[in-house]
Amino acid sequence: MKVRRKRTCYFEENDIIYIDFKDDRLLRRFLTEQGRIIPRHTSGTSAKYQRQLAIAIKRARHLALLPYVADFTR
Amino acid sequence: MAIYETIYILDSLMPPKDIETTNQRYSGIIKDNGGTVRKLDKWGKRRLAYEIQKKQYGFYVSIEFEGPGNIPKLLEGDYNYNDKILRYLIYRFDKYKLKAMERDQEQKPLSGRTEVPKNLEPTAAVEVEEEVLTLNGDEQVEFNDKDENFEEGVADDVDTTENAEEDKES
Repeated sequence: MKVRRKRTCYFEENDIIYIDFKDDRLLRRFLTEQGRIIPRHTSGTSAKYQRQLAIAIKRARHLALLPYVADFTR
Repeated sequence: MAIYETIYILDSLMPPKDIETTNQRYSGIIKDNGGTVRKLDKWGKRRLAYEIQKKQYGFYVSIEFEGPGNIPKLLEGDYNYNDKILRYLIYRFDKYKLKAMERDQEQKPLSGRTEVPKNLEPTAAVEVEEEVLTLNGDEQVEFNDKDENFEEGVADDVDTTENAEEDKES
């Protein structure tokens, strides 16, 4: 049996209603090193906020605030 | 009428005068078509997360405006003709954003200080840039730490093996 740590939604805990895509420092918490969006079952984000988060990250990527791909192993 | 925000990235090598004229041009388009500019915010020069048209830096400007639904289309048409604009984004405030704004307004009268946020805004923008710089620094430091730990771990292993050999000899 694996001992699982209980994960909670960051946004529900901190009472954040709106995820701002301009806050790239916050969004980076939900990206892997390569720049992919961390799935819900890993980060523990609730479905409601994961939907908002995905849109926010995609907007930030479009404006070059976040990378589409951050790959340093070349 | 809905509230929109448009953000565009200008070539950072543009002279400040030209940046001013483009800002005036776009706020003019909004005003001429029955909209009102709520806020014009210059984020300033920022490093891009990836190269756009071989450029590493861009000058970010955001305009928050209220107006009829045909304005975003007009702005888009104009952005596409402007070579100096590297990227743009126009979005309508969704229900979550509006709710968050409502809550902010409710909290502001309670604190009784309406002037403080205005003073904070420019410094906040500067802080963001600094944070990004320090973030990069932190990342490098982290990598260094890991390397050192790794080397130490190896060194420890070597020590133990040597001790073991000495034990055997004794």
